[in-house]
Amino acid sequence: MMDAETLAVFRAEAEGLVESLESNLLALKDAPRDRALIDGAFRDLHTLKGTGAMFGRADIASFLHDFETAFDRVRDGSVEVTPDLLSVALAARDHVVALLSAEPAEGADRAGAAILSRLAALMGTPAAPGAAPDAGPWHATFRLPADTAALGGRPELVLEELRRLGARTIRARTGDVPPLDRLDPVCLYLGWEAEIDATATEDDIRGAFLFHEDGLQLSLTPPAAPDATAPPPRGPEPPQHRAPALMRVPAERLDEMMDRVGELVIAEARLNELAARFGDPGLVAVAEDIQRLATAMRDNTMSIRMTPIGAITGRFRRLVHDLSRELGKPLALEVTGEETELDKTVIERLADPLMHLIRNAADHGLEPPAARAAAGKPEEGRITLSARYSGAEVLVALSDDGGGLDRDRIRARAVERGLLAEDADPPDDALWKLIFEPGFSTAPAVTELSGRGVGMDVVRRTIEDLRGTIDVASAPGGGTTVTLRLPLTLAIIDGLLIDVAGERLVIPLAAVDEIVELPDSLADDDSGNAFLDIRSSLVPFLRLRRLLDSEGQPGAHQKVVVVTSGEGRVGLVVDRIIGSNQTVIKQLSPLHSGIKTFSGATILGDGAVALILDVPQLVARGRSDTDCQGEAAA
Amino acid sequence: MSRTVLVADDSPSVRRMIVLTLRGAGYAAIEAENGQEALDVATTHSVDAVITDQNMPRLDGLGFARAFRARPEGRGVPIVFLSTESDPALREQARAAGAIGWMVKPFDQAKLLDVMRRVVG
Amino acid sequence: MTDAAQFPGAARDVLTFRLGGEVLAVAATQLREVLEPAPVTRVPGAPAFSAGLINVRGAVVPLADLRVPLRMRHTPPGPDARILVLDLPLAGQQAIVGIHADAVHEVTRIGPADLEDIPTVGTRWPPRFVAAIGRWGGHFVTLPDLPAIFADFLSGQSGRSHLPGPTAAGQQDLEIS
Repeated sequence: MMDAETLAVFRAEAEGLVESLESNLLALKDAPRDRALIDGAFRDLHTLKGTGAMFGRADIASFLHDFETAFDRVRDGSVEVTPDLLSVALAARDHVVALLSAEPAEGADRAGAAILSRLAALMGTPAAPGAAPDAGPWHATFRLPADTAALGGRPELVLEELRRLGARTIRARTGDVPPLDRLDPVCLYLGWEAEIDATATEDDIRGAFLFHEDGLQLSLTPPAAPDATAPPPRGPEPPQHRAPALMRVPAERLDEMMDRVGELVIAEARLNELAARFGDPGLVAVAEDIQRLATAMRDNTMSIRMTPIGAITGRFRRLVHDLSRELGKPLALEVTGEETELDKTVIERLADPLMHLIRNAADHGLEPPAARAAAGKPEEGRITLSARYSGAEVLVALSDDGGGLDRDRIRARAVERGLLAEDADPPDDALWKLIFEPGFSTAPAVTELSGRGVGMDVVRRTIEDLRGTIDVASAPGGGTTVTLRLPLTLAIIDGLLIDVAGERLVIPLAAVDEIVELPDSLADDDSGNAFLDIRSSLVPFLRLRRLLDSEGQPGAHQKVVVVTSGEGRVGLVVDRIIGSNQTVIKQLSPLHSGIKTFSGATILGDGAVALILDVPQLVARGRSDTDCQGEAAA
Repeated sequence: MSRTVLVADDSPSVRRMIVLTLRGAGYAAIEAENGQEALDVATTHSVDAVITDQNMPRLDGLGFARAFRARPEGRGVPIVFLSTESDPALREQARAAGAIGWMVKPFDQAKLLDVMRRVVG
Repeated sequence: MTDAAQFPGAARDVLTFRLGGEVLAVAATQLREVLEPAPVTRVPGAPAFSAGLINVRGAVVPLADLRVPLRMRHTPPGPDARILVLDLPLAGQQAIVGIHADAVHEVTRIGPADLEDIPTVGTRWPPRFVAAIGRWGGHFVTLPDLPAIFADFLSGQSGRSHLPGPTAAGQQDLEIS
């Protein structure tokens, strides 16, 4: 019986295969002759079937058998990929998911049988493929090494393996067995000859002698080749291009590993402090070694956690495929930058918000075909998902080429919901952001898919939890683009450690543009000036002392740390720069997560807790503060 | 009566993976952290096969295989090495020490179960 | 969480401690450990109830002050001051929180017979924050309803989810009627 952990390993592996199968099938829709996709789908089916059998899920293995056969025939060119075949294969994929989900549901057998009969109808007669049954068999004569039994080898298991491969007759050759008085009981004197179905490949047959290769005597005559010296035919071309060896690991182990690395990084910082204090050259050298190792280990661990966004786009293709049917709108999804990698935690939590945005685009964003035709657009609505790097962030954009957001309707709805004053006339981007407010929905009719006003606020909350931000751009008739700006990782960052009134805080180093001296003319808290002139560009600044409600008065030589986020820049006035450090980000508990100034906390080398400043929030704050001042001045 | 496999490896995670794989497929599994412990376990338990690492503290895989083969309870019990080493000379030594097979890590569940099916049935 | 869920009829082990001149108790099942006073990092903009963070074995843990919701007087910490580290449900998830104690007494068993009805009038404490009142060695001991106190705080926080600043100081009172 499988224990829970093994079951989880099996599930994870099967789910990965199901997802890969689905994305291969969906991609085949557009490229029905693509060799790599066909091979991929076959391999997924084959492995899924094998994994099912290995973990005792005979139901899955036997259900998939005919599909494996069907795709094998696609592979050898005797069957074409048709929309019907893909459709029934997708149904099979769903059925496997149902079989995987805990206990098989009532009526699952019937559902599976219906799918199989659809497949059989498509494939014509459900005859077994491969070599014709009347082809002659392989003829094998072999002797196992004499020490087989001494090594614990079991000849009967080799014979069993050959039977599994289709051995019809197996005869022992006893000619070399000595008289009893000279017989060594652990020595193997027997030989065998066997006739094996032509469906087996030479590799299969040789593989049956695993671990008996040394000292094995084997002569193998291929089917339908009476001349034993003729070269044996190769079996079907092996599909695999030896992919690098992979190991599946439960995600929690990676999380644990990341925690340990985090602790290591903290301990390493403490060691460095001590080494610097004692000044012993030997100790400093060791500390530096450990620092180098810890940094490399951190990078390795993080890279293990990085997952390409392509890992979740398969389900989006499926979603768009399904939405297209349900809504009666022809839809196409284009994905670019699938190789862009994000921390696995971010990727996993990104799937739901993106699904929701896609649903929204399909349901509300894209016009019905007739309206599109009238507007001179192609009937097929286009949804584009693109991902790319931008500094220490990843931008994930979801666009549609639909009608664009309806400014008047959103405004009216916002006023109705009390989100906007009657006479307010905010700029577009401010107005668009209101669609992420709880309970906001302008859909005229509530459809099955969306429009119930739940979801968009959840999208925003999820993205904010990931320390990301959302931007919306829309043009009337030209479609809508929602851009999610996400940090690469949630786990460890390089931080700039600063001092404000004796309290230490961390600024993510990736966001730091430069550090300048605060001019004496601005040293006074009441100077009123909100801008800093840095090489003739005006940068708004925030005094962290004021923002953090600090006590006492600043000394001389305050510094300004200029940080950027998106298009914005803001200067943060601090008392002192302490230095850079590796910062292991710890999430704040629900008691403090409502305080937007901080994105998390970390533990410093001396064991104290330091808060991490949330740069995007501070930049937004710097902008709005200066906006207010600008208005007051006007 | 399920078959019992002795798993000797000094890495707890590798051991755990092997054991989980075996148990998932219906085998019973006993763990040992090194060759010496494996030898002790193998004298107190009846085992149907051994999967062992080569590099282990106290007693390595080769040392274990030689010692185990020399004991009455070690006769006819298949020993399979699962090691990161793939040096042919080492494989020959293993065979001479009484091992039936050698598998190279990384560890692959399907492969391991295939081997076990052929070695212990 | 209701009183009944937190203190069903059976006897239970509690840790008694002193805070603000009163004797309080927490269920031993909620207690993770008792720490010596540790450096506290101030969280600017946070209300007085949860004004700081501490490091508990590598985890960043919020430090809460029960004196705020229970309206107790604040005395400077003495040599016996400790931090109780607790496991509590917060916003639907188990979380680790620390609470201040002026001194820690002992783990004791409080049976149903030791529990008294919670007077609806005459106490200084908001009744919904009190799970039970018992007797321990001739003293009254109060078992605060910690899940209720934290839930109350969290629900009050939703209106506070903007940037802190000088104005945040006015929001430090937890009381929401």
